[in-house]
Amino acid sequence: MSRPRLTERLSRGAESALTLISAAAGFGKTTLLADWLATAPLEGRSVAWVSLDERDNDPALFWRYLLAAVERAAPGVGAGALALLQSPRPPIEAVLGTLLNDLGAVSKGLVIVLDDYHVIDAPDVQDGVAYLLEHLPAQVQLVIAGRADPSLPLARMRARGDLIEIRAADLRFTADEAAAYLNGAMGLTLTAVDVAALENRTEGWIAALQLAALSMQGREDVEGFIAAFAGDDRYIVDYLAEEVLQRQSEEVRCFLLQTSVLSRLSGELCDAVTGQDGGRAMLEALDRANLFVVPLDDRRRWYRYHHLFADVLRAHLLDEQPADVPALHRRAVDWYEQNGERSEAIHHALAAEDFARAADLVELAFPALHQGKQEETVRRWMEALPDEVFLVRPVLNVGYVGALMATGDVTGVEARLRSAERWLETTEAAGDLSDMIVLDQEEFRRLPGQIAMYRAGQALVHGDVAATMTHARRALDLAGAADHAGRGGPAALVGLAYWTTGDLEAAHRWYTDGMASLDQGGYRADVIVGAVALGDIRLAQGRLRDAMSTYQRALSRAEASDPVLRGAADMHVGMSQVFQERNELDAARHHLVRAEELGEHVGSLQHPYRRRLAIARLVELDGDLDQALDLLDQAERVYDTDFSPAVRPIPAVRARLWVAHGRLDDAREWVRKRQLSADDELSYLREYEHLTLARVLLARSSAEHAERPLHEATGLLDRLLSAAEADRRSGSVMEILVLQALASQERGDTRAALASLSRGLVLAEPEGYVRIFVDEGAGMAGLLRAAVKHGVGGGYARRLLAAVRATPDDEPVGHDVIERLSIRELDVLRLLGTDLDGPGIARRLFVSLNTVRTHTKNVYAKLGVNNRRAAVRRAAELDLVSPHPDR
Amino acid sequence: MSDMSTGKQYDAGRYEIRVEGRLDSRWGAWFDGMALTPESDGTTNIHGPVLDQAALHGLLTKLRDVGLPLISVTRVRPEPPVVPSIDRR
Repeated sequence: MSRPRLTERLSRGAESALTLISAAAGFGKTTLLADWLATAPLEGRSVAWVSLDERDNDPALFWRYLLAAVERAAPGVGAGALALLQSPRPPIEAVLGTLLNDLGAVSKGLVIVLDDYHVIDAPDVQDGVAYLLEHLPAQVQLVIAGRADPSLPLARMRARGDLIEIRAADLRFTADEAAAYLNGAMGLTLTAVDVAALENRTEGWIAALQLAALSMQGREDVEGFIAAFAGDDRYIVDYLAEEVLQRQSEEVRCFLLQTSVLSRLSGELCDAVTGQDGGRAMLEALDRANLFVVPLDDRRRWYRYHHLFADVLRAHLLDEQPADVPALHRRAVDWYEQNGERSEAIHHALAAEDFARAADLVELAFPALHQGKQEETVRRWMEALPDEVFLVRPVLNVGYVGALMATGDVTGVEARLRSAERWLETTEAAGDLSDMIVLDQEEFRRLPGQIAMYRAGQALVHGDVAATMTHARRALDLAGAADHAGRGGPAALVGLAYWTTGDLEAAHRWYTDGMASLDQGGYRADVIVGAVALGDIRLAQGRLRDAMSTYQRALSRAEASDPVLRGAADMHVGMSQVFQERNELDAARHHLVRAEELGEHVGSLQHPYRRRLAIARLVELDGDLDQALDLLDQAERVYDTDFSPAVRPIPAVRARLWVAHGRLDDAREWVRKRQLSADDELSYLREYEHLTLARVLLARSSAEHAERPLHEATGLLDRLLSAAEADRRSGSVMEILVLQALASQERGDTRAALASLSRGLVLAEPEGYVRIFVDEGAGMAGLLRAAVKHGVGGGYARRLLAAVRATPDDEPVGHDVIERLSIRELDVLRLLGTDLDGPGIARRLFVSLNTVRTHTKNVYAKLGVNNRRAAVRRAAELDLVSPHPDR
Repeated sequence: MSDMSTGKQYDAGRYEIRVEGRLDSRWGAWFDGMALTPESDGTTNIHGPVLDQAALHGLLTKLRDVGLPLISVTRVRPEPPVVPSIDRR
């Protein structure tokens, strides 16, 4: 029956971001929503409906269902995010960012419904929904229905009028609605007094009225029933369900109780569980009698019981035949297993507390789930299994380790590996293996290598380089010659371990070997993403040209696939870095634009933070310090180095920015927090921080004209230089020489300064470095002038000097008719030419709407226009922007 | 792994949960073996040992799911355990 008082209220709420329908079971939440949304297409809105159950606490599943529903409602929207979900450890923030971008571009309204949201208790999923809600574009509305309020800032939204709520008090049937329902929909003929008595007793609770109506159908003494019911204080559902159950034949009653263990019902499945025939006919009869079965599909093949009724049935079953319950579940396991639905089978095996059976099923289901990235589902099952079952199941135990490590958790990993290993030792000693349970023999054969590889990965996470190497080498020895994945993984881990120690040559060699194995194994996307690490190592070696060709090769391979392989966006960021070092800022900018056009889903796990770092750098060169700092904050939030060493921590990058812009107090606070001192023992992992410390000390020395910080910086730099030279890390060596030159200059020792500078120039010239010198500003300008005067550095020094003079203010301007536009203003200008609205542009550029407005105002002023269309036209006339600058 | 295996049982204890309406004692098995006592004021007292906070929330979720109005949840202080004197040398 229609409930205009509520549907009208829902329709009026179409302006607010969130509509919440929150009430206990049996208040008609789903029915109301379905009624209301039935008219949505007429109003030009499409509907993405997601019905949730407990399994959707796995973020991979939850977002997959949601994206699939969105894509059905608005074809094309969410496809990119869905592709991104297929990646290992999908970065949910990037998934949502991609989805939000798509949503921002949909032209007509969209309603996303999350029904039964109360089953979601996983914080990961809840946080994702909160993020989605916070960034939802105006034309998209979220509707959450459930039995408990979601963990969202409801009070704040309520106060701002951003929330439409329908709660139990609103959902209850009024006296008129109760009368319409009982006498209309349910075909009874009750007096107003009777209706009032029922409404009073049930307090308008719809499920109870429904049960009451069923009890009264075909009853002679309706008045007597109502009087007895109204005068009784038992739990309503109990009382009424009892009434309904009592009136069923023993056969029906038995069927209802036995099948109540099922969350879904089909004729065949019911037959399997009850051991009888005629399940299908029974379900159809129940459906016709309106006995609380809800069809789940149009063909009426699958049903479920109404939740409240199912709970009453289960309570009866547990009370009357507790001993039969496990057997009922076991029969469900058999049926689901035969019908290939492993996850349902596992659910019932766990409910039957048949843990051995559940463990077998999980072991067999594991490879497929692992491939589908459903690590959370695997974890939940594994957590439901008692410890004993793992002790005799080495493959399952190591599978658990894989699931744990994939979700970034290393607790208890070692004990599990050791337990699995004991079986392998027993095997070797030809001991008694009769207690061991292995279902997946192929996985069992790979176990020794897998164990060693997980140990290596775990050691790397703990920063134990020696152990990483030992285990990884063992994994390599154990892997068969044809096991390319079994070889590639450990070799790459050895490379990463060497990188952590600062031995870049060994790191590059091993990592390259690992990638070659993976390549042979057909893991093309992994190889492309691997080029991120290889390029990084090249940059640290001061080999700009090699870094560039690494990126270029990987990019052309990525682009040879359709769709373009993941990692392509990283390559553009890498190339942008190289161009930026060479002071070819237009090219650097161009590659960042290309990375953005590809989208974050074409990037590795590291891409979100690396891209923001690269943009921050260009924005800083453009003179917008606040913007750059904001981007660093963003980069920190999405910081994930995957398994690579964190050689360039964001707080240190931020401290450098502060030093360069005179915020010395902030930088000193960072030094204090990191407990850095010039006397620290040196390690490659802290090199970037120590170099930053040297910069802080030098800045202090020149600001305070103090001797001590200069002295400390000099000592620190000397030690850093020896360490970097020993490992031939020319990238570091160059920076240290530059800082040494500045320190000598500060001391007034021009000869020593020129000596350091000269050595730096020799290393830098063949690779075409520019910014490493130019960034040092006035101090370096003075030194370069001295170098030119003394004939040090030749033409290279002269070119660098010219570059220092050209930045930042008197850089030649391409179009003298207009004031020079900043990088950010150009970005905004380019997006003004698209269909994106203001909030869309803000999201795309990761800035606030206010910032976009400021940029837009500046763009208009500089172009001498006063609206968007004119700005776009003027930009085209001046050839300022083109959607594909490379073509 | 779980708290159980480390030997810790956070907030284990006895609880009394009062709900509106008279609930048949057959629901005891459904509520994980808790005892059900009908009170004279038309409410039901569901009481018994609860393993930990997670188990308590599980019970409350079950109550929510059958739509039983919740009146109060009280932790019942266990009797102070009789500590035998142990020679701690």
